Amino acid sequence: MSEELVRLKIDDIDVRVPKGTKVVDAAKQAGIDIPVFCHHPKIESVGMCRMCLVEIGTPKRDRSTGEKLLDEGGQPQIEFWPKLETSCTTPVSEGMVVKVSSEKAIEGRKQILEFLLTSHPLDCPICDKGGECSLQDLVMEHGSGESRFLLEDKKHQDKHVQLGDLIVLDRERCIQCARCIRFQKEVAGDPVLAFAERGRNIEIVTFSDPGFNSYFSGNTTDICPVGALTTVDFRFGARSWEMDATASICTHCPVGCNLMLNTRREARANGRQVIKRVMPRQNEQVNEIWICDKGRFAHHFATSEERLTKPLVRIDGKLIETSWKKALEHAAEGLKAAGEGVVGLASGRVSNEDLFNFHTLLKSVGGRAILSDSQAGGELVQQVGVGKGTDLGALGAGDAILVIASDLHEEAPIWWQRVMGAAKRGATLVVANARKTRLDDYAGHVVRYRYQEAARTGLGLLQAITGAKDLSKFASDEPLKSAAKALTEAENLVIFCGVEGLTYAESKSLSDVCAAILVETKNVGRAQNGLIAVWPKNNTQGAWDMGLRPAEGDLEKAFADAKAVYIMAVDPVGDDPSLAESLEGDRFLVVQELFMTPTAELADVVLPAQSFVEREGTFTSGERRVQRFYPAVKALGETKADWRIITSLAASLGIELEDSSAAAVFLQIAEETEAYAEINYQSLAEFEEQWPPVGEEDLYYGGTTFKNRQGLGVQVAPAAEQDQSLKIQWSAPPEFKGKKGYLLVPVVELYNRGATVMPSENLHPRLASPVLWMSLKDAKSIGVIQGAQVELLLDGRTEELQAIAEEGIPEGVVLLGRGLGVPIAEPQYVEVRLKA
Amino acid sequence: MQIPVSEIHEIIDREADDEGSIISALEKVQQHYRYLPKEALILASQRLGVPLSQAYAVATFYNAFSLKPKGKYCLQICMGTACHVRGSPQLLDQMETKFNIKAGETTPDHLFTLETVNCLGACALGPIVVVNDEYSGQMTVQKSDALMKRLIRKEGLD
Amino acid sequence: MSLMGILRGLWAALLSMFELLRGLWTTFRSMFETPVTYQYPEVKRPVRERFKGRHVLKRYDNGLERCIGCALCAAACPADAIFVEAAENTDEERYSPGERYASTYQINLMRCIFCGYCEDACPTEAIVLEHQYELSFTSRRDAIYTKELLIVPVPEGGKPTPQNVPVGMFNRAIPEMKDPA
Repeated sequence: MSEELVRLKIDDIDVRVPKGTKVVDAAKQAGIDIPVFCHHPKIESVGMCRMCLVEIGTPKRDRSTGEKLLDEGGQPQIEFWPKLETSCTTPVSEGMVVKVSSEKAIEGRKQILEFLLTSHPLDCPICDKGGECSLQDLVMEHGSGESRFLLEDKKHQDKHVQLGDLIVLDRERCIQCARCIRFQKEVAGDPVLAFAERGRNIEIVTFSDPGFNSYFSGNTTDICPVGALTTVDFRFGARSWEMDATASICTHCPVGCNLMLNTRREARANGRQVIKRVMPRQNEQVNEIWICDKGRFAHHFATSEERLTKPLVRIDGKLIETSWKKALEHAAEGLKAAGEGVVGLASGRVSNEDLFNFHTLLKSVGGRAILSDSQAGGELVQQVGVGKGTDLGALGAGDAILVIASDLHEEAPIWWQRVMGAAKRGATLVVANARKTRLDDYAGHVVRYRYQEAARTGLGLLQAITGAKDLSKFASDEPLKSAAKALTEAENLVIFCGVEGLTYAESKSLSDVCAAILVETKNVGRAQNGLIAVWPKNNTQGAWDMGLRPAEGDLEKAFADAKAVYIMAVDPVGDDPSLAESLEGDRFLVVQELFMTPTAELADVVLPAQSFVEREGTFTSGERRVQRFYPAVKALGETKADWRIITSLAASLGIELEDSSAAAVFLQIAEETEAYAEINYQSLAEFEEQWPPVGEEDLYYGGTTFKNRQGLGVQVAPAAEQDQSLKIQWSAPPEFKGKKGYLLVPVVELYNRGATVMPSENLHPRLASPVLWMSLKDAKSIGVIQGAQVELLLDGRTEELQAIAEEGIPEGVVLLGRGLGVPIAEPQYVEVRLKA
Repeated sequence: MQIPVSEIHEIIDREADDEGSIISALEKVQQHYRYLPKEALILASQRLGVPLSQAYAVATFYNAFSLKPKGKYCLQICMGTACHVRGSPQLLDQMETKFNIKAGETTPDHLFTLETVNCLGACALGPIVVVNDEYSGQMTVQKSDALMKRLIRKEGLD
Repeated sequence: MSLMGILRGLWAALLSMFELLRGLWTTFRSMFETPVTYQYPEVKRPVRERFKGRHVLKRYDNGLERCIGCALCAAACPADAIFVEAAENTDEERYSPGERYASTYQINLMRCIFCGYCEDACPTEAIVLEHQYELSFTSRRDAIYTKELLIVPVPEGGKPTPQNVPVGMFNRAIPEMKDPA
């Protein structure tokens, strides 16, 4: 990019910055700190707090000729503006001179701080922000040390205003910088906060229902320059200087947000180390400096007291606690007896090291390693995934994004936020889904199809793009054609391919089509281009890369054929109770888990695993970025890391696997997986300076997000970068089979009631309810009044649910959230009737 | 008070254009009802695509808007420095006693609202009392008593 | 030996006798003075007012705890002897007049060097080093004084904590003190 550079002088330092840069950012780039409260490098400036006042001068010009006037020395004369200016709203101009540390500017800052403190309660000793508070820091550095205002005259306001269920507002501490309000509007896309009243009575209010209804609300506590906004999770939890910080990666969705886990030992946890809070860690190419509320608040499962702590073995029909040695021996015996009839099932929740060992073990015994996540396309991402160096934050005008069969807002909020940002910057957004999703509001083209026709829609797009004859039976209609045109014309194209409403076969067909579109439009093998699969788990892509493959929709048969089943980090029975039958009987079952799941209850041996906070490893994100996470707390009970359990189990079977460290396992991965060849734990820990600077001394600038000093990870290049001649064969979708009844489609809700969310009690008021969503017309024909109880007949069982009719839901379809207590594996036809 | 939704719609539609026209739309509602009914705020925010919180922010920021129903007669007493030294506190005291309400309140029959303002920019005429945009300068206790009596008589409350 | 030598010897003897008597006089005199030793532990020597002994956690007259759980004492402690965990007060269960109170308060007296920095750091004058100096332990665990051991008894007329107080009675983050200077 060739940007016009402007030269200016800040405190006698020559600075060259792109045109349009604000003075405060220009100074920051030159290493000069201008204190701010309301300015934030990620949010539009408003100049509310007046903290960034500086002296600004511009070259004097002759009024008649417009020429610059020179002094005796031949230097341009500088005319200083009569008053101090806010450097956050003043753009740089050629020849500008800025004085940050002149007497006038210092005096100005002093007075602003004195003014801000007139109504501040000074309750730093008990404030959660104490120690990392911008106001505290700046008053220490720039304040006058005393106030001419009377302490008794301070205005007292409410100290505990619950802004929604997760965030608490302290009205007294608020300095009215509006960072939270602007963040919600500009960055989060949920404009649910506003100022009410004015002057000293100003108050942050929310009118959404529930209050402060946003998946990004926690970020406002990071950018709040004072302790006005605090989270219920961390409220009075610990002082900021008391905690240790360990780098980690979020495990709730495939975005792979970089986290920092703040921990400390606590008496109330019997001296155990506990996670006090989860904070974002800067990675501009992944999560910038934000994380969603699920990542921030739903961490309690990792250290839950409900976890399994000891190995269990079934003796006389009962699971009895035993030693590792006995449990492993018993498990090895069972697996040995099964010979080649061992089936392994694992989910993408665990790390690459675990999945690699799992795959190696099953390969060694001649068994089959199955990936539980029923979505196709992993090998396509390996070929035409996003190119190395892809940054969704760099997409803008001239680029296009296609989101198909996915509700990003619920499935991967940070992707939703970044896609929305790209659309706001001018990228063409095409959203294709069977129902209305929140991304529609930002879409240039909305393509609506009927459930079960996602792949056909994709083929329609492909037909419009290529005009291929063999696709003529999928010929597209006008809206599809204009969407296809937008995709063809785009310089860069990223496709998010989801699995909403799709069976495995349909998902396979859809991902093939998406890959074919990318190849046909030549949007592969480059940065900012390629396929991103919206996986159900954080490391599903890693599981594909480690060699695991889904059962292609026939898990039941795989189990039925097996003599022994080894299940890791997945609960198939909980997801689909009908599978219990095929796991019972004389089939030997080993389950490796965090919790006592319905599957574990059927097991012959239960092996307690460690959660991601207790061990190290790597995850591969949906954008195929391999990232490292580190152990933050001491492991619970006798639990072991998954990869180590597998190594021990293999040893009992006489198979030698790497047992020294996770890093050593990763070296083996690099050896055996071509795409990972260049990667090791050292390269994953490399980092570079990122803009904006956060997490250093100047917390007032970017907020309390942690600086990334633990590794930015390495993005794996797709095969298309080497092989440009790649061809993808599209596959026809399975024939549409109409059946009687309503099509029940499982949809993803961010706050589901799964085992990784439930232990976080703070989220309970926000959990999704098991509600059956239907169209207004269907509700009428069934005779449902809003909120009425209905009966759902599926798989021979009857579920009782509340029904809610809403606009934007297609007819003949009922939607139900996954993981809300009603197990549904795939879309299926059901009967719905009003409860008598 | 029941506010018919269609009526609010009509008022808002007359002004509604884009996000920026929220102030003029609310102004019209304020003129019509002498306050901003909750329904009007919700409708205006929906109609203009402004978040409700933003509409509320606008409504509470400007003194011209009120979220509480106001009286038919809005009596504003200037409390600016000049009026203050010329005795406007006595006038306020007198009116508060007369109507049995405090400044900022409205009589239960929704006839009179008493307000204080900080300066009306006509200090030479102080103390000033404004009744529904009609200015009365150099007020005294006697004059204001006459003013109130006139209003009360007009409403037939004698 | 000359006469001078003999005289000189006698003089020296006389002098030493004098010194001896003087020494004996001191001994004799001290027999009538009050002794400085104390029959510890039966008799205890009172300490100076500003003596820094074992800490106590103070209460207000109404029984509420002064400590607001801010952990500044722990931050100030050069020996890392103090550990605090805080929790939020409610009107139904109120421990301190502020928003926050110490749900756990521990001092490891084996680590403590009695410097009094914790006292200086305390914004509510809750922690005070008082006059208790008999601190010996038979196990490491006993050296950790918990909140129950540190806190003073409820003063007369006060109520024990937690207290159930009327809503809105306490609404300050840090209670206003009589003498903030």
